[in-house]
Amino acid sequence: MEKRQVRNNIRKLRFYHGEMTQEQLAEIAGVTRQTIIAIEGGKYAPSLELAFKIALAFGVPIGEVFSYEVGDE
Amino acid sequence: MSTRKISISVSLVSTLLILGYYLFNLIPMFQKGDLNSEDIFRLAGIVIIASIVLNILGNILTNIVINIVHAIQTQSDKEVRLIEDERDKLIGLKGTQVSYVAFSLGVLIAMLTFVFGQPPLVMFSLIILFSLIAEIIGDLSQFYFDYKGA
Repeated sequence: MEKRQVRNNIRKLRFYHGEMTQEQLAEIAGVTRQTIIAIEGGKYAPSLELAFKIALAFGVPIGEVFSYEVGDE
Repeated sequence: MSTRKISISVSLVSTLLILGYYLFNLIPMFQKGDLNSEDIFRLAGIVIIASIVLNILGNILTNIVINIVHAIQTQSDKEVRLIEDERDKLIGLKGTQVSYVAFSLGVLIAMLTFVFGQPPLVMFSLIILFSLIAEIIGDLSQFYFDYKGA
């Protein structure tokens, strides 16, 4: 079975939202900056609730922020 | 360095200090071969109480120092956001799990020494020793999980 992993466009979306900082996004989503760094780097897959909060912070549907794709590894 | 990493470091350092104190007092007892229950139980009591007190004091002092450093850096009296999010909780839980496994193995080893004819005080000393080692392993594993992502 092919291995899939959660990927995200957070870096791109932050750029399109006036270079929103990781700290600002963390504050809106109610998490620490370290968690945003881990999610953005693909090291941590967030819970569904946190994924919705991040999508809400950008004002886009969750599918535009996260996707479940076949991984490189 | 995040606030959680600092508090894990404080816990790690305090446990290492207590472990050092415990071994410093325990090893001479074993070398002399005069294991008496009064000394062993007193030492265990000191270690357990010191562990609790040092962890509480360490956390309080860490929070104070973090707030002072933050105030100096940002030149504002706004408090630092000390939140624990889902990833922090997950890392904490995984660390506790690793700690439990390490402690269980330690208890098993201590039991084996009793089975192989060592006095009960040796078993008791080893259980205290492995509880400290398990805490250190748990703290180190939290660093690893934090580095890995979760």
